[in-house]
Amino acid sequence: MAEIRIDLEKCMGSGNCSYWAPGSFDLDDDGKVLVRDPATDEESRLVMAAEGCPVGAISIWHGERRIDQGAP
Amino acid sequence: MAFESLGGNDMAAQREAINGILPFDPNELKDTVSGNIVNPYPRYEELRRESPVHVGAVDFGEGASDLNPDVPLPITVVGFDETVAVLRDNGLYSSCVYEIVTEAVMGRTILQMDEPEHREHRALVSPTFRSKVLARWEEELVRGIVDDLIDSFIDKGHVDLVQAITFNFPVQVIARILGLPQQDYPSFQRWAIELNSVAANWERGMAASAALRDYFAAVLDERRKNPADDLISELVHVELDGQRLDDEEIYSFLRLLLPAGVETTYRASGNLLFGLLTHPDQLNAVREDRSLIPQAFEESLRWEPPVAVVLRRAMESTELAGVPIEGGADVALMLGGANRDHRKYENPDEFNIFRKERQHVGFGFGVHVCMGMHLARMETRIALEAILDRLDDLKLDPAPGQDIRIEGLAFRSPVSLPVSFTAR
Ligand code: HEM
Ligand code: SF4
Repeated sequence: MAEIRIDLEKCMGSGNCSYWAPGSFDLDDDGKVLVRDPATDEESRLVMAAEGCPVGAISIWHGERRIDQGAP
Repeated sequence: MAFESLGGNDMAAQREAINGILPFDPNELKDTVSGNIVNPYPRYEELRRESPVHVGAVDFGEGASDLNPDVPLPITVVGFDETVAVLRDNGLYSSCVYEIVTEAVMGRTILQMDEPEHREHRALVSPTFRSKVLARWEEELVRGIVDDLIDSFIDKGHVDLVQAITFNFPVQVIARILGLPQQDYPSFQRWAIELNSVAANWERGMAASAALRDYFAAVLDERRKNPADDLISELVHVELDGQRLDDEEIYSFLRLLLPAGVETTYRASGNLLFGLLTHPDQLNAVREDRSLIPQAFEESLRWEPPVAVVLRRAMESTELAGVPIEGGADVALMLGGANRDHRKYENPDEFNIFRKERQHVGFGFGVHVCMGMHLARMETRIALEAILDRLDDLKLDPAPGQDIRIEGLAFRSPVSLPVSFTAR
């Protein structure tokens, strides 16, 4: 099962992750990302969310192996 | 984004509106403002194969510009990783470069601010543009606007989609989200066009900017007394950590929404339609399965980003992809070059809504990533749904000899999209 890791410091509240994987991500009232239930979205969606995060706050892991490409 | 004129001739009023804003010496950035460029992509690739980062004047087909000897050599970036690296490093690469471009026309806005000022100001205005907040506008507002536009030509069998739809719906959507009274739309639309085409006519553009300020002042007054369910009411009442927007900040932000939110969406929706109309198999796939619309839109933003140049300024001397950059140098990020980087995408020049590699920089990246992306995605999706619901057998139908194409360098979109259809 994929695990989502977040660097909250970096998050700037774009909402791009929740656009691509709405079951897994949401925004709280302060505009920071919230992780919901990663099992509700296809893994490819989680990867899109991570790679589309404009500030690189998200990574997706299988155990100790990171499966998204990150952003450069 | 670079607010520049790229439209070519501006004879008719509508044509004029297609032009962007050019409030600085065109020669200064001539390589990013030269008009009527149809296909810059081969040149981007040629440059990228030499190096993703270039120092000095770059010729995009209209001759390289003369450089100002008093400022550091400008930088041009045509690679994906390098573009993302610049947009991510907002400390080193500052948005203050927009000061001269936009401040005179709109006032000081988040577009030109750096951290931490940018973060604080953006947080005040961004909640209204979250996708959940926007959802309620979908059916009641956007669909109604597009349906009305379609009604006006549905019995004709032939129409220019740019003139009839894409040019019109974004400004109406913004007007209604702001909560402007319907009888004001004509003047609002006129000021919007005049502000967006300040390049073609500086005095008129500045007059429109002033008129908008006065107009908004009256609306703000009214909303303070009688708050309504709209963006302006929200802006006069938002507060974050005790901070509030002052009136000048609100006027600036509202004026920013015209070039940032209206022109961009009109161009983006034109590019999406162009991509689909020139690839009928993919148009059919989307017609059959509407859940493909979001990925089709993202692919069109990758393939033909409507805002094709984003600017930054290097705050100190540095290096990018091994290329030295002098402190103070202006950096032009060619988003179309990044989005078709042959090192990142398979068949980068191909419009393919099914491609695996979906990441793109059409909305920018980093802390200044487009704040209106959820609105742009939503309104473009609804517009395309309405078109597909109501127009069958949709195909390009140019006049003899008419060349249908996307053009421009800093801003790109089709000038017209003549189509034939059968009404449903
Ligand atoms: C598909 C249509 C659109 C495209 C392609 C687009 C593109 C962009 C890009 C590339 C930037 C980054 C500029 C930079 O980093 O210098 C940006 C910023 C921005 N956009 Fe959009 N945009 C679109 C629609 C909208 C809409 C509908 C709105 C508003 C309602 C909007 C509001 C903004 C604002 C306020 C910023 C400045 C954000 C900041 O500096 O933090 N945009 N847009
Ligand atoms: S995409 Fe990144 S910056 Fe945007 S809300 Fe999600 S985590 Fe935050």
